[in-house]
Amino acid sequence: MSAPALWRFETAGLARARSGLLFALVFATASVAVALVGLSAGGAVAVQGFARTSVSLLQLVLWLVPLFALIAGAVAGADCHDLEFIAALPVFRRHIVLARWAAWAVALGAALAAGLGAAGVAIGLLAGAADGVRYLALVGVSELLLCALLATGIAAGIAARTRARALGAAVALWLFFVVGVDLIAMGLLAVLPAAGGRWGLSLLLLADPVDCARALGLGLFQADVVAGPLGAALHQVLGGWGAALLAGGLVLWTVLPLALAARWFARRDL
Amino acid sequence: MIIFERAARRYGSRLALEALTLRVAPGEVVALVGPNGAGKSTTLRIAAGLVRPTEGRATIAGFDVQRDPAQARRRMGYLPQKLGVPLSTGLADLARLVASARGLRPAAGSAALAAAGLADRADASLAELSGGQRQRAMLALATLGDVAALLLDEPTISLDSDGAEEVRAAIALASGRGAAVLFASHHLHDVAVLADRVVVMVEGRVAAAGTLPELAASVGVSWTADAEDPPIERVYRRLVRGRVALVRGDAA
Repeated sequence: MSAPALWRFETAGLARARSGLLFALVFATASVAVALVGLSAGGAVAVQGFARTSVSLLQLVLWLVPLFALIAGAVAGADCHDLEFIAALPVFRRHIVLARWAAWAVALGAALAAGLGAAGVAIGLLAGAADGVRYLALVGVSELLLCALLATGIAAGIAARTRARALGAAVALWLFFVVGVDLIAMGLLAVLPAAGGRWGLSLLLLADPVDCARALGLGLFQADVVAGPLGAALHQVLGGWGAALLAGGLVLWTVLPLALAARWFARRDL
Repeated sequence: MIIFERAARRYGSRLALEALTLRVAPGEVVALVGPNGAGKSTTLRIAAGLVRPTEGRATIAGFDVQRDPAQARRRMGYLPQKLGVPLSTGLADLARLVASARGLRPAAGSAALAAAGLADRADASLAELSGGQRQRAMLALATLGDVAALLLDEPTISLDSDGAEEVRAAIALASGRGAAVLFASHHLHDVAVLADRVVVMVEGRVAAAGTLPELAASVGVSWTADAEDPPIERVYRRLVRGRVALVRGDAA
């Protein structure tokens, strides 16, 4: 019974803190700006529509969502150590972690949906509804990415214990996921034989939730057409099953860090 | 009943609490006193199930706080030295959570706040309350339901005299209802007013334990309970200084 009560408590706390509203405002503004810039590029507003603009928006999602989710998660995770009063109530400590993740996921998820929704409305009004369903799928991918990196941030915050260390860990993880893994992949590409490394490199996508989301997002808009050789290579190697694999990867990136975080917090001295 | 059976805690080579054996009976108020780092908070945290003892165990109303934490916590209220919840927390939200966690109707939380004279502040956040109101609210929620044991870490710290008096009254009320109360305090006036027994701790060890007249007698101070200004400071200083000298090997 403690989990729903804790979720309500965490949600009420977030509503008071207004962190979600701030995220919504920042993300909505950035999304609409990217959408309008993408639409007006080259002066061909009516031609580009959801497909090309979504690839631009995907880049925004891949940079901003991990940053916001990791930072929010890390701080929320570190702050769990200050909940002595609640941890001494007849509640399971793992429920405290799960409730915190769920409340943040709903708040930031709603903010993300509002931001991308605002951009979607702008695109729809200016360029028509073609590829609108795929755009909705892109919102879904963004939400999966948010959930995964929020869970990873919470695990990092619980491991770090203090806010300062948690913030450091969040930024380090963001750099690793957004830039580091790609650098490793490029290094491996230079070293490995061209044919042998293909599957291995494709599976390396699963080691990075940001790359999972990138590959899924590009695949949604037939990236072999709109996103050049990288998208084409991904489509060729992964085929139809690839999308399920990548989505599964994002779910795993949510479940495993959450399980770890709950276990660590349950066993720690406060 | 709160029971410690040779409960000890080490952090690496540092001893935070040496094998502590202590019983706090229903309706009894026991105070933990001692300088910073004496092990008072560790003792309370072990009883609250927040710190695992490296040896021994603690029980609340017969339930081991580590092996049967749900049952033990159902019968226990704990007030940490720091607030233990975010300062932005809404009082009504916290009351709902505590009531729900203890298996009570949400109205029970509101009723507890009303009984503490905070009915009109239920919509406020903890940050919007005065120090005394905040501590009163937390104490009202910590004692919500069928609480058999109350653990309080510096319950009157940073309160003005009126706020401290309100908190002392709330502790006396809980003890009057039959709760075993164990509290740590640097405020010796609280100890003199509230405690049936006192445990003096120094560097993780029990330096002395007993009623205040017994402790006073042990260091050659005459104790008069009805004195306006009981000589607790003198008793404390003699007990703690003597023990510190003993622990550090410079008793001579």
